Amino acid sequence: MADTHLDRDVLSALQEVMGDEYSTLLDTFLDDAEERLRILRKAEDAAQLMNAAHSFKGSSSNMGAIRLAELCHELEQCAKNKNLSGVEKLVGEIDGEFALVRPLYEAECRRSSPTKAIVPRF
Amino acid sequence: MSVFSEVSQDGQKLTISIKGRFDFAKHQEFRDSYENKELSAVVVDLKEATYLDSSALGMLLLLRDHAGGDDSDIRVVNSSSDVKKILAISNFDKLFDIS
Amino acid sequence: MQPPLESLTILIAEDSAADRMLLSSIVRRQGHEVLTAANGAEAVEAFRQQRPQLVLMDAMMPVMDGFEAAQQIKALAGETLVPIIFLTSLTESEALARCLEAGGDDFLAKPYNQVILAAKIKAMDRLRRLQATVLQQRDQIARHHHYLLNEQRVAKAVFDKVAHSGCLSAPNIRYLQSPYALFNGDLLLAAFTPAGDMHVLLGDFTGHGLPAAVGAMPLAEVFYGMTAKGYGLSEILREMNAKLKRILPVDMFCCATLLCLSFQRSSVEVWNGGMPDGYLHSVASGERTPLKAQHLPLGVLSPQTFDDRTDVLPMAVGDRVFLLSDGVIDTCDANEQLFGVERLQRVFAANRQPDALFAEIEQALRDFRGEARDDVSMVEVSLLEATQVSPPALVYSDSGQCCPLDWSVSFEFRAATLKRFNPLPYLLQLLLEVHGLRAQSGALYTVLAELYSNALEHGVLGLDSSLKRDASGFTRYYQQRSTRLDELQDGFIRVNLQVTPKGEGGCLTVRVEDSGKGFDVERVMQRPADGVRLSGRGVGLIRQLSRNASWSDDGRSARVEFFWEALA
Repeated sequence: MADTHLDRDVLSALQEVMGDEYSTLLDTFLDDAEERLRILRKAEDAAQLMNAAHSFKGSSSNMGAIRLAELCHELEQCAKNKNLSGVEKLVGEIDGEFALVRPLYEAECRRSSPTKAIVPRF
Repeated sequence: MSVFSEVSQDGQKLTISIKGRFDFAKHQEFRDSYENKELSAVVVDLKEATYLDSSALGMLLLLRDHAGGDDSDIRVVNSSSDVKKILAISNFDKLFDIS
Repeated sequence: MQPPLESLTILIAEDSAADRMLLSSIVRRQGHEVLTAANGAEAVEAFRQQRPQLVLMDAMMPVMDGFEAAQQIKALAGETLVPIIFLTSLTESEALARCLEAGGDDFLAKPYNQVILAAKIKAMDRLRRLQATVLQQRDQIARHHHYLLNEQRVAKAVFDKVAHSGCLSAPNIRYLQSPYALFNGDLLLAAFTPAGDMHVLLGDFTGHGLPAAVGAMPLAEVFYGMTAKGYGLSEILREMNAKLKRILPVDMFCCATLLCLSFQRSSVEVWNGGMPDGYLHSVASGERTPLKAQHLPLGVLSPQTFDDRTDVLPMAVGDRVFLLSDGVIDTCDANEQLFGVERLQRVFAANRQPDALFAEIEQALRDFRGEARDDVSMVEVSLLEATQVSPPALVYSDSGQCCPLDWSVSFEFRAATLKRFNPLPYLLQLLLEVHGLRAQSGALYTVLAELYSNALEHGVLGLDSSLKRDASGFTRYYQQRSTRLDELQDGFIRVNLQVTPKGEGGCLTVRVEDSGKGFDVERVMQRPADGVRLSGRGVGLIRQLSRNASWSDDGRSARVEFFWEALA
């Protein structure tokens, strides 16, 4: 199934909601994501793996990274079923997917920052 | 509905029948059965009344007052022996024709 | 159109910084104030300090998870509803069930949908406000109830003042009454007349609560006022009936039994309107005479049609009259069977110790019903020796400075008046204007009553007092009295009162003259004083209570004197 890497509709909705804070949100997500990846790579037991994957899935879906969220979901299910055979592979795929979308988010940041026009507050 | 009323053919006599306990719960129904009527003779049929308390006596007094007080013509019929006893102690046979 | 949603304070507990930021913006855009927490413990603390109205709670958080935090927050909220919406990408029903168990009211899935979130917030807020309204109304009802209870307490306190100006604590009265009798419509009154007779009333108003209590007040006032002035039962009954008829609604009335016990005349006068049978127990014969209701309750008939006729029965020292409210007969057991008259009479029959009768009846009721009743009224009045009862002193409301000291007045009461009017209360009131006589009001009234009654019954009506030697004769005597009084065409009683000063005090001379045949004064004077006899002209009593009693004109004219010294 060809999941979208980055859903542009979600991004525009996010920009609309966040207004001036849009780029801050993206930055925060990227920092968050790196931390989670670290945990995923170093996870010592199934429970840790499952929780980290679950968490990552949540924020990825909020940010429109559909394929990333799906991969996290698979990892979460594996960890839940204590099926540790495909874990390493999945973590690798997640790593790869993040590497793919990350520059896209960074481009978004740069794109929205120059336009530091005053957005009317209400 | 436990209070039934019926007007005779010639419109002269009103018969009110009480079923079950004749107590305060029947207050509104009893009143509604005679309230807007021109009364000359009234019959209260207690054949199916199982019990009578002091609020029922009060309701009979209200009916009597409405029907002309001392000039009223009210008969209380088919009273069971228990009901008759209650009416006797309160001496209501001095106000109503009781049978 | 629904009113715009007011701005709420919403707590967002979410450990992912990006998600937290996003949700905060969404919620702020919808017009609300936002508080944030990064874990369960922070969430609970934020709630404790700021008391937000709604919580968006992530399920999985470090330090303390959403479930634990939700439980703690619900506990802190107490009666108030603080809706908690769980933020979760948990899909399994088991996990969702856990959210509900922890106190969650709804879920919001990730990715966040603004429209759905807004709808959920609105729905939860409606619930929140509904709960607040319910609590407010509950508190209002509780306050109102409290207020009503207090009103009843006040009413009861006022009534107690009126009700207890009587003599229920006299040695010859025993009674049983619930402290809330008044609010069941039960009334028990007792008072002495100026002559030392005792009036007792046991009443039962229709209805319960304040309406019943309100009717009792004017009734008690009439009872006490008129008894103190020396009015007889019939007059008091007429006045009570008229008053209740006037003030109570048509469907309210008062069943009552009234008694007048006369220690002097060894008799009891009875009127029963709608109450269960009372009983007169004679110690000598062991017989119990039922005192049946022969009249309609008070407040039903107009003054023109009211029947004030009483029955008079002989009563010896030690005899007792027993009255009870219908609570006794009406006591039901588990099968809705009534205690009834037969069971009561069995208790009477089995009773050996008269003093234990009350306790035995209460026990029988308890055994029958399975528990005690608190709304039963019973009273037992016995006839004591005249000397054993001491009426309280009358209280006067004037200042005691001015009074008439030298005057006389004459009355002539003719047939039409004698039939319908008792002049004694008026005569007594007149005489009590003389302060010096007040200390002797009891003796004064007794002597006046005796003289008047002799003049009327033996003089004008020509009744033979020897009829009263036994119970059946007693009844015949009073029947004759009633008949002859009804048929009376001619006759008179003249009363002359003369007050003159004497030294520092004064003297009252009373003359009573009747139009009858007179009697053999010599013969009566020579008869030995016999306290037990029911008949006789009460000559002994008159001589005992007044001074210089004398009869002239063949017994048709009587004259007595009263003296008093200077007042201190």
